[in-house]
Amino acid sequence: MYRKANRQIPALLLLLLVFVSTACNSRQREGGTSMLGDFISSEPIRYAEGFTIDHAEDYTRVTILNPWSNASDPYETYFLYRNDSILPLLPSEGVKLKTPLTSLAVNTFSYFSFLELLGEMDVISGVTDGFRIYHPGILEKIERGDIVDLGDPFQPDIERTMALKPQAVINSAYAQLDRYSERLLQAGFPVIYSLEWMETSPLARAEWIKLMAAFFDKREAGDSLFNAIEQEYLQLRDKVEAVDKKSVLAGDIFQDTWYVPGGNSFNATLFRDAGLDYRYQDNNESGSIGLDIESVLTQFGKSDIWFGCEAGTYAELVNKDAKYLLLQPVKNRKVYNNHNRTTPSGGNDYFESAIANPHFVLADLVKAAYPHLLPDYSFTYIKPLEELGAREKK
Amino acid sequence: MRKNSSLLFILLIGLVIAAFIADLFTGNAPISLQEAWAALVGSSGDAIVDEIIRNYRFPKAVTAVVAGISLSASGLLMQTLFRNPLAGPDVLGVSAGAGLGVALLTLLSGTVVYPFVSSLGGMAQVIAAIAGAGLVLFLILGVSARIKDSVTILVLGMIFGYVASAVVTVLQSFADPDSLKVFVTWTFGSLGSVTWNKMPLLLAPVIPGIAMVFFLIKPLNSLLLGEHYAASTGLNIKRTRFIIIAIAAIVTGTVTAFTGPIAFVGVVIPHFARSLFGTVNHRTVLPATLLLGSLLMLVCDILSQVPIANRTLPINAVTALFGAPMIVWIVLKRKRL
Repeated sequence: MYRKANRQIPALLLLLLVFVSTACNSRQREGGTSMLGDFISSEPIRYAEGFTIDHAEDYTRVTILNPWSNASDPYETYFLYRNDSILPLLPSEGVKLKTPLTSLAVNTFSYFSFLELLGEMDVISGVTDGFRIYHPGILEKIERGDIVDLGDPFQPDIERTMALKPQAVINSAYAQLDRYSERLLQAGFPVIYSLEWMETSPLARAEWIKLMAAFFDKREAGDSLFNAIEQEYLQLRDKVEAVDKKSVLAGDIFQDTWYVPGGNSFNATLFRDAGLDYRYQDNNESGSIGLDIESVLTQFGKSDIWFGCEAGTYAELVNKDAKYLLLQPVKNRKVYNNHNRTTPSGGNDYFESAIANPHFVLADLVKAAYPHLLPDYSFTYIKPLEELGAREKK
Repeated sequence: MRKNSSLLFILLIGLVIAAFIADLFTGNAPISLQEAWAALVGSSGDAIVDEIIRNYRFPKAVTAVVAGISLSASGLLMQTLFRNPLAGPDVLGVSAGAGLGVALLTLLSGTVVYPFVSSLGGMAQVIAAIAGAGLVLFLILGVSARIKDSVTILVLGMIFGYVASAVVTVLQSFADPDSLKVFVTWTFGSLGSVTWNKMPLLLAPVIPGIAMVFFLIKPLNSLLLGEHYAASTGLNIKRTRFIIIAIAAIVTGTVTAFTGPIAFVGVVIPHFARSLFGTVNHRTVLPATLLLGSLLMLVCDILSQVPIANRTLPINAVTALFGAPMIVWIVLKRKRL
């Protein structure tokens, strides 16, 4: 009996394979975008490369560009309108959003400060990783239940996000569509992609405040806020032009590999602007460069100053690895971490407000390297390592 | 079939239906039973509630059933073929192959392959996983067509799996932290990412695959007595083995592609089915495995909704936490025997 069955099975198996291959091929490509004319003006964007804003008479087009594509393709296009009457006239593609936005789930910490500067903190109805947030106002609202914690930022709770009924969700974008964004889009929730982290300079990242401002009809406020930030930053940059440059080491060891910033990265730009000499400043990498400890000792052993150390005290540092003692900045006690504003549960303001305060980030470095230039300034985000921790002091 | 078995089957079917309904009514959105029921049978009057119940929880529950059936059936096939109580759907290396596909996609998608990846949209991960699983599938089928000894196939399958995992580790070591987290999130497993429009793609290989297992009941029963005995009854061992491996690999590969890896279900459920019904006859064990598999996955999905520190638990962890004690029990029971 099963001999017969055996003879039928290869045919069924073939059928199964055909099923699989046709099923995989059946997906259709999504359509492209069409061009629009009649824009009265374009927002001047001086540093950021990741977005454009164009104004028509009755609506605004915000385009978030695709950083992974060479041809500046849009990652997403948003048509922002104020009157419902304009809605039928808008092009069929892209995301339509009525402004000013009234409720937002914000899944990236860096947008808190933009919203705060724009006076729009009350629109936040959901966040992710609540326990890792520094902002006291948001923590208070989570405590009161006015803001919902949606869980892990890499896979936020979809049901709770939908139940919040936010007008839009700010979510980090990666080189592929993630399940969360895909699911929200299918349920009809617009996603505003956070791609400011792909920018390689502090001013470029800060300029994304203009993008946020567009979603609240606060074009002028966005402009003037950014202009003030820019002015402070540039003034400070000019101050260090004549200094005798100090050399810098950055990053720390993670599982035997020391990650230092690439020459085209955010941190390398910051070091350049702070008048620091960084060994990899001519390198083209925009991410991190992994080095073994031997390379770090030979290339950076004689650096003047070290930023981005993960330890809180020298005692902790040496306890972790005695090799750190071979580094000149450790010997000379010129080591800084980014832990000046933190919460016991892991919140760190450096990952929240630094994006909107590049002038403070720069001032921190300048103060540490060239204290005479900023005698009255005290550190915002960075902190010199202490000799001993609280426990050892006792 | 004995009367007791019939009763047990009726009970199991009732439990699966109950768990399915319970799964539809469980979640983190504050939706009352009445609202959920209204959304199921008509409309709750709230578009978001309708969306959550019909287009999120419903396909998620269906996916739980499909994953439970597929993984436990594959586990049963592997345990019978290799006569090894700890064999599971992943011994052929297809799950690791799927992981390799997704790792390559996630960790390289920001590079030159981006235009291709973006053209695939939300299907990119699934296609990458199917490609990875398919690669291992063809390797293992190629081996099984040439090698006589089943144990050698088992060993080679596991080695393919180890190699795929090793390549994943190398890729991870080069990855930036965000890509790494995206990949790690995939390894958590997820039942909620199969939307209705993806469902046909999941079902297309799984339904005929599982249907074909029913044609294999007799060959599987003869294999229980050893390959020599099975051959003496006129069974073409090589061809049967090829078919069993192909079905298990295709079904496991497809499910893993859509849900991410889900541990333990495939290993544990066939044992449960055998001990519950007190038989090794596949005529009983196969349907029992399918029912128990879907029941376990539905229960695990309900458990994974219990928020701990504002996070839902990864389904892969829930099945493992559930399954690990059972494996210990199986091992100890075998030792006593």
